[in-house]
Amino acid sequence: MKPLSALRGIAMAALLAATTLLPAQVSAQSAYEANLPPEINTSPALCDYVPCKEVLPGATSFSERKGQPPYVEGYAEENGQRKLVGYVVLSTDVTDTPAYSGKPVITLIGLTPQGNFAGIKILKHSEPILLLGIPESALVKFNNQYLGKFVGANIEIGRSRPEEEIIGLDAISGATVTVIAQNQVMMMSGAAVGRQVGILEKTVRPQARFVDSGRKLDWATMVKEGVVQRLTVMPEQVGLERGKDPFIDLWYGYLNHPEVGRAIMGETGWRDLMARIKEGEHALFVIRTAGRESFKGSGFVRGGIYDRVQLRQGQDVFTFRDLDYYNLYGISAPGAPSFTESAIFIVRSSSFSGAFPWKFIFLGNRIDRETGARTFINFDREYWLPDAYIEGGRPEVKKPDAPWVRVWKTRALEIVLFSALLVAVAVVYAKRDELTRRSTRKNKWPVNAFKYSAWIISIGFVGFGLLAQPSITQVLTWFHSLLFKWEWELFLTDPFIFLFWIFIIVTVFVWGRGLFCGWLCPFGSLSELLYKVGGAIGLKRFQFALPMKWHNRLKWVKYAVFFGLLAVSMFSMGLAEKLAEVEPFKTTFLVGLFNRSWPYTLFAAGLLGLSIFMERPFCKYLCPLGASLAMPSTFRWFGLRRKQECDSCKACAVGCGSLAIDEKGRIDHRECMLCLDCMVLYTDDHACPPLAQERKRRTKDGLPLTPIGKDGYYIPIKPVAPAAPRA
Amino acid sequence: MVDPRILTEQVEPPYASRGSASRLPAEIWDHLWPWSRNGFQRQRVVQAAGLALAAAASVAWILAAMGNMTPGAIIGWWFGWSVFEVAVRLGSKPYVKDGPWWGSRYRRASIMDMICYVGFKNLLIGAALFIVLKSMGLVQV
Repeated sequence: MKPLSALRGIAMAALLAATTLLPAQVSAQSAYEANLPPEINTSPALCDYVPCKEVLPGATSFSERKGQPPYVEGYAEENGQRKLVGYVVLSTDVTDTPAYSGKPVITLIGLTPQGNFAGIKILKHSEPILLLGIPESALVKFNNQYLGKFVGANIEIGRSRPEEEIIGLDAISGATVTVIAQNQVMMMSGAAVGRQVGILEKTVRPQARFVDSGRKLDWATMVKEGVVQRLTVMPEQVGLERGKDPFIDLWYGYLNHPEVGRAIMGETGWRDLMARIKEGEHALFVIRTAGRESFKGSGFVRGGIYDRVQLRQGQDVFTFRDLDYYNLYGISAPGAPSFTESAIFIVRSSSFSGAFPWKFIFLGNRIDRETGARTFINFDREYWLPDAYIEGGRPEVKKPDAPWVRVWKTRALEIVLFSALLVAVAVVYAKRDELTRRSTRKNKWPVNAFKYSAWIISIGFVGFGLLAQPSITQVLTWFHSLLFKWEWELFLTDPFIFLFWIFIIVTVFVWGRGLFCGWLCPFGSLSELLYKVGGAIGLKRFQFALPMKWHNRLKWVKYAVFFGLLAVSMFSMGLAEKLAEVEPFKTTFLVGLFNRSWPYTLFAAGLLGLSIFMERPFCKYLCPLGASLAMPSTFRWFGLRRKQECDSCKACAVGCGSLAIDEKGRIDHRECMLCLDCMVLYTDDHACPPLAQERKRRTKDGLPLTPIGKDGYYIPIKPVAPAAPRA
Repeated sequence: MVDPRILTEQVEPPYASRGSASRLPAEIWDHLWPWSRNGFQRQRVVQAAGLALAAAASVAWILAAMGNMTPGAIIGWWFGWSVFEVAVRLGSKPYVKDGPWWGSRYRRASIMDMICYVGFKNLLIGAALFIVLKSMGLVQV
C-alpha cells in the first residue's frame, strides 16, 4: 500500500473524530446540566415547576411542600373526594450527595402511601460519562429497578443476598460511582419521607447519662474540650466577594449537659430551662459573634420554621418551629465572646440523643458569580460530647462507609488481581535483560510470551472486564482538581483507574511511557494485537509504515490534540469532555462498538481497522494521553541501550515498529513503546552486525566466545600475564 | 560522529564535573534562573524582554499572594511565562538532563525537549505555589 493512501486514511480518521461532535450537540438536550427553574429549591408549590405527575401516576393535584426535609402529598379525585395517592420528594431537599462529577444527580422521587417507589425522574445531572459515553437511558433503566420496592428495604448495588435480606441492583458498567451515589440518594430521600409520614418507624436512640463533677467551666475550656463548637462561613464560600469578615460566625453547644448548661446559663437559668423542657427533649444554644446574616432566617414568621439552622443525627433531621425557641440573654461563662444574635432551640424528639454525634447545619445560598444563579449549600460541623462528659464514655457508633470505601470493599478481589498484574508487568520489564538475552531475532518468545500475555489480559480483563482504560479526561480532571478543588474521594471512587495512574506515573519516570502504552494500555494492546494477527493470517503484504519524513511530521499531531484539549478545558470542561471523544476508548470498552451512534462506531472501528495494516496509528499520531505521557518521558531515568555502531547500522531501525529510531540510530523515548525488539538484537550475536562480525572473527581465530556484557559486546579477552618464575 | 547512545549531543554545563554536593545547588539555581551571561551576549533583546516578563510575572504572583488575582489570570501568566522561558533557555541554557535525575549527564535540548522541561518544571513550581496560596486562603476558587 502506498503511503499516500495511508495518509488519506489517517486524514479520514481525523475527520471522523471531528464529526463525533455532531451527535454530542443533539444529546445535549438531555438532563445533562439541564437548566432548572430556581424556584424548585424554594417555592412551596414544588409541583408547579417539576413534573410530579410523572413520578406519581394517578395523582391530579399536589400539596405545597411540607415537613422537614420537605415533601409534597399527591392526591387523586375519587367520587368527588380527594384521596392521598402518595408522596413526591426532590432529592436535593434531603441530600446533596455528590456523584462522580462532584455534583448531585437531582432526582424527583414518587412514593406510594405504603412506601413503595412509584416513579423516578432525573431532572438534572452533570455526569460526563452519561453525556457521551453511556446513554442516559441506562440511568433511567437503573432507576426503574427501584419501582415497587419498599423504602425501608436494604437495597444495595450488587447481587441480592436473601439470607441477609439485601436486595441487589444491577449497576451500570462504567458508571459504578454514579449508581452508588444514586442509591444513597434514593434510600435517604425515601427514608426521609417515610419517617415523617409514619411509613418507617422512628429511630430511637438511648438517652445519655451525663457525668456531672460540678466543675465551673469557662469559655476557653469548653472550646478546648469541644463542648462548645464554632461554625464559620466566609463570604467566598457563598459566592460573595472575598473579605476578612465572616459571612456568619456561629457558636453552639448542647445545654442538657449540666456542666455546659450551668456554664452558659448560670445555675438558676439552666435549672429553669430544664424545668421547662420535658423528659427526652434537648436544648442547644446558638450565638452569632460576627456577620450580619441572621441565623434565624429572613423568612421566619410566627408559626413558621427556622429555615437557616437544623440538626442532623444519622439519617434524622431536626428542625425548629417558633415553639421550639427560647431567648438567650447572656452567657455566664467567663471569657465568652460578645454576640449580636442568640437563641436556645429545643429538639422535641426521642430520636435525638446527646450521647451520639450530631451535626449542626447552617443552610445558606451560594450565588454563582457568572450566572447569578442561587443554589442551596449546607455548612455543617459535627458535635459529640467528649468521653468524660458521658457515663461509660461515648457509645460505639458504626458510621456507614463512604461510597469509595464500599467500592474498594466490594471489588477487593478484582483490585488484588489488577494490582498483581501491574506489579508482575513491572517486575517482568525490570528483568528485561534476562529475557532479551534468552531471545533471538528469530525467536522472541521469551519476551513476547510476557508481552502478549499482558496485551490479552489488558484487553480482556482490564479493558472489557474492569473498564479501566486511562484517558486524557482524567489528566484534565487532575489538572483542574489541582487548581480548583482536590478531592481524594473523587479519584478513589474508581480504584482501577487510581491504581493504574500510580503505575503510570511511577513507570513513566523510571522507564518512559512505553511500559504503559506498549504493554498495558487496553486500546493500544488491542491495536497492536490486531496488527500482529493481521500479519499472521497473511495480510503482511498489505501492512505498511509511513515514511520517516511523514512520520516525523504527523507525530506532532498528538501533541497539538493534547494542548488543544488542555486549552479548551480551561474555558469549558464540558466541551473538552466532548472533544476528548478523539479517544475511541469509550466506544471500544466502556460502551461497546455497537451501542453508540454510527459516527462513534465508525471512528473507533476505522482506527481498529487501520491498525490491521499499520502498527498503532492512533498511538503514534492522535493519542492525547500518549502525548501527555511522552512529555515527561523525556526525563525517564533508564532508557534502552545503544552501541556506537548503531549510528551507521540500520538493523534495529528497520525493525522498529514505533519508528522511534532515527537515521543516526538514536532512540526517541517519547515515541518508543518499549517492545524490546532492538534489545533482543542488541545481544543477538547472529543478528546484531557488529556483534556478528566479532563472533565470526573470534570463531575464525579460534578464540572463545565470552559472555556479552552490558555494553552489548563480548567481554574482552585479556591474556593473563604469565606467572613470574620462582627464584 | 554522532553518539547514538544519547538523543542529542552531550554537553557539559559549567557545574557538570563538580561533586554532587555542589552540583545540586547549581542545578536548583539552573531550574529557577533561566538566564546566563553567555545567553545575554547572544540574544540581548530576548533576554532583556525575558527579564522584564519575569518581573511582571513576579508582580503577578505577588498580586496573587495578596489575593488580587483569579485562578484564570494566574494560569494565563503561568502559560505566557512558560512560552517565553522556552525561548530564553534555548538561548541561554540550551541543555537538559539525560537519564537519572541524580546523574550528571546532560545533552543539548531540542525545542521539544525544552518545551517538555519547562512545561513540566513550571507545572510543579506553579502547582506548589498555587497550593501554598490556596492553603493560605489567598487565592479564590
